[in-house]
Amino acid sequence: MALGRRKRRSREFIPPKLQMTSMMDMFTILLIFLLVSFSKDVVTMKIDGKIQLPKSNAQADYQDNVRLVVSENNLWLGSDVVAEVRNGKVIGLDPENLQGSVLYQRLKECKKKVDRSKDEETDKNLVLFLCDKRLSFKTINSIIKTAGMAGFPNFQFGVLKQ
Amino acid sequence: MIGFRSSRRRPEQDTDLDLVPIMNMFLVMIPFLLLSASFFHLSAINTSVPVLSSSEGAGAAENTVQVTVIVQLEEKGIHVSAMSDEVDDKTLRNLETYIAQEGQAQYPLEKLSMFLQDIKNSYPRSDTVIIIPEDSILYDTIIKTMDVARYSNDEQLFPNVVISGKVG
Repeated sequence: MALGRRKRRSREFIPPKLQMTSMMDMFTILLIFLLVSFSKDVVTMKIDGKIQLPKSNAQADYQDNVRLVVSENNLWLGSDVVAEVRNGKVIGLDPENLQGSVLYQRLKECKKKVDRSKDEETDKNLVLFLCDKRLSFKTINSIIKTAGMAGFPNFQFGVLKQ
Repeated sequence: MIGFRSSRRRPEQDTDLDLVPIMNMFLVMIPFLLLSASFFHLSAINTSVPVLSSSEGAGAAENTVQVTVIVQLEEKGIHVSAMSDEVDDKTLRNLETYIAQEGQAQYPLEKLSMFLQDIKNSYPRSDTVIIIPEDSILYDTIIKTMDVARYSNDEQLFPNVVISGKVG
């Protein structure tokens, strides 16, 4: 009883102030980091597995018109898987009959679409090629040849800036 | 009188800065910047595959002699040669070399760079290199070779890179 009385008589409750300084510090650091990594042309790529792009001192900008991505497991054309890659071999891509492959057919369709577009600034024969650095030329060669035959003889090899 | 009055003023209390509007601004900016942040800076190396084309016509003057450098990437080393319609066979043979890989060390790209620089100095109008990798050569090695062939110490060597498979 005595305690309860004492409590009631205690001073008026003052809500505690939030300590904002440390939160501001955190936000400032975050803001600076994000401002540095700001890019006006963000490309979101849906890539299965872990693709390791090679590093290079190249500075040229890329043109994301038609995109071929080769990982250790899949071959992508744009956002669609067009073939599987197993032990460095592209399944369904016969070096003797490249024109009979799904990749060739799909690239041909892409070429028609690209040719129909009225954008004159883009190179219509260009493919952005993103490939895992651990793959051998044997894997890449047939893909490059197929793209060349389908009407895309020019490539941009996508690399990470050093 | 004024001075006397001010000396009797009560001591100033610490005023807290109102950080809430700044916090609001930060909370708006951070999601926007998170969406537009790029965590991997992608760039590109332009290259092409060989295509059939018509011949270029009349021969060039001597000071515009061009050679096309061929770099064959093999498992044990790099074979460099050159071809040109404007240079005789004997001169072209002098431009041929084989740079062997020493032991299990790195691929001999530094020696290749020096050799390509020599060719560029002899034929400054040359701008094309054809890279022919063996099947076992890794993509990473091809990219590194392209870097070496395109630039050396910020000096442009052969900016036009053509990649081709071995024929035959």
